[in-house]
Amino acid sequence: MSTGAECASGSLREDERRTGLGHSAGAALRFLLTCWKVNLASAMEYRLSFVLLAGMMFLNNFIWLFFWHLFFERFPAVQGWELRDVMMLWGISAGGFGWASVLFGNFHRIASIVSSGQLDVYLAQPKPVLLNVLASRMSVTAAGDFVFGVVIYFLAGDLSLRGAMLFVLGLLIAGLLFMAVMVAAGSAAFFVGNSEGLSQQLFNIFLALTTYPSGIFRGFAKLMLFTIVPAGFISYMPIGLLRDFDPAFAAGAIGMTLLFGAAGIGLFRAGLRRYASGNALAMRS
Amino acid sequence: MNERGFRWTAAALKLHAIARVTVRQQLAYKTDFLLRSVFLLFILYVFVQLWTAAYDGDSSRTIAGFTLKQIVWYLAFTEALTMAGPPLGPRIEEEVKSGDIAVKLTKPLSYVGYHYSSYMAEALFRFAVHLAVGSTIAWSTVGAPAFGLGWMGLLTLSLGAVTVAFLLSAVVALLAFWVEETRGMEFVMQKLQFTIGGMLLPIDLMPEWLQRVCAWLPFQAALYFPAGTAVHFQTAVWLKQLGTQAGWIAGLSAAVIWVYRRGVKKLHVNGG
Repeated sequence: MSTGAECASGSLREDERRTGLGHSAGAALRFLLTCWKVNLASAMEYRLSFVLLAGMMFLNNFIWLFFWHLFFERFPAVQGWELRDVMMLWGISAGGFGWASVLFGNFHRIASIVSSGQLDVYLAQPKPVLLNVLASRMSVTAAGDFVFGVVIYFLAGDLSLRGAMLFVLGLLIAGLLFMAVMVAAGSAAFFVGNSEGLSQQLFNIFLALTTYPSGIFRGFAKLMLFTIVPAGFISYMPIGLLRDFDPAFAAGAIGMTLLFGAAGIGLFRAGLRRYASGNALAMRS
Repeated sequence: MNERGFRWTAAALKLHAIARVTVRQQLAYKTDFLLRSVFLLFILYVFVQLWTAAYDGDSSRTIAGFTLKQIVWYLAFTEALTMAGPPLGPRIEEEVKSGDIAVKLTKPLSYVGYHYSSYMAEALFRFAVHLAVGSTIAWSTVGAPAFGLGWMGLLTLSLGAVTVAFLLSAVVALLAFWVEETRGMEFVMQKLQFTIGGMLLPIDLMPEWLQRVCAWLPFQAALYFPAGTAVHFQTAVWLKQLGTQAGWIAGLSAAVIWVYRRGVKKLHVNGG
């Protein structure tokens, strides 16, 4: 039981906490919007280059789909997967990777930023460090990936309202999972020194795994795909989320994204406490 | 020795020295090498899973002349060749952007020749290591190879294949003299090699109309020829492929020289 004064005091603190949280969330959002605006303006400075790079990435993805088209012409179904499923797999993977890289283009460069001493620049600014690092770069080529994902949805996806909502959910989970895994892996640079090469290879492997049907893997490989290297939660989406909605799979994908997200933030914060500047002169890139 | 003979000997000695330095550089970055090998192991593992699923695990089944074992070894060879090629495009692009090219152009050796020598030394060295790594995974998953003269076909055609890969990359990379950003074009070229070059899928498994198109393109000479001949050796086909490779090398060399000569006239290096 509490006294009235305690209640009033508790309620005031709660209000302050809420207002503070609201204020900081609003400030973070305003900061993000400004970052994105500046990044876009910077990319638009070289408009032709932007269009060329994004266009080439779009074409690049299409050539991969051309391979799958040839493959499924020879083998019409592999472990229940058909060409349409692989198209949606590429749509989700490229689209999710695309939006994450456009808005938070540094998510797979954390190891390189930490190892090269570029983190000092972000530490000196009065903004949340991780958010600042992530949003300070926009990947131009990834715009092509995102557009590709959307085009593939219109070509092979379920265009009903339910289908569109599930596709958006898939894009959201895929992008967040890409970021969460790479922030966690990149934060290893705080603890093991120069892990740039290792982080880059992990990124390549994770990215590659999200573009092959999860159905081809068996046993231990499948177990890894849904635990330590959770690419399976992206590569199974065409079946578990879009084709035959499986609530258990959807819950697992969201849970794993949250788990890796929390681990990534936790590791980054823990690493930040160990970080020692190399006094390198660097500029925000 | 006449003056012309002396010049050729001097050029050959310079290119040999560049090749030697490149190999020594490769030996200095062992971690980088190890990481690339890990990726090769991983991607081959994925391919083994994919093709085992496609063949329903039936090792006696033959599709377009390929058994599962032949497909896996074929992919080990194409992957070893693909991953052997160093990133020529980014190197030339960086030289143009940073102005380092001014230093390279003033040296008493051919700019394209320098890159060719460095590329070949690095690619052949990497190919040997990747072939060993790729063979390990192919051997452990589908069994020992029994290709006989196919090994000779693989090694002889690989020399020309790496040269064709260099020339294709060089044509795109030298466009940096005009547009600076060549990565996108390089990406597309690379993916064309992956698909219609036969890296992911032997050309024999493609539809007939596409096989006819591939026959008129240089990409098959960079990957399909050595890997296909290794698993299906036939003397007549091997000789024909050597001839086709030589033709493409001549044609693409002419294209590279033409692009270089035009590009270098356009180049302005500011500062430095």
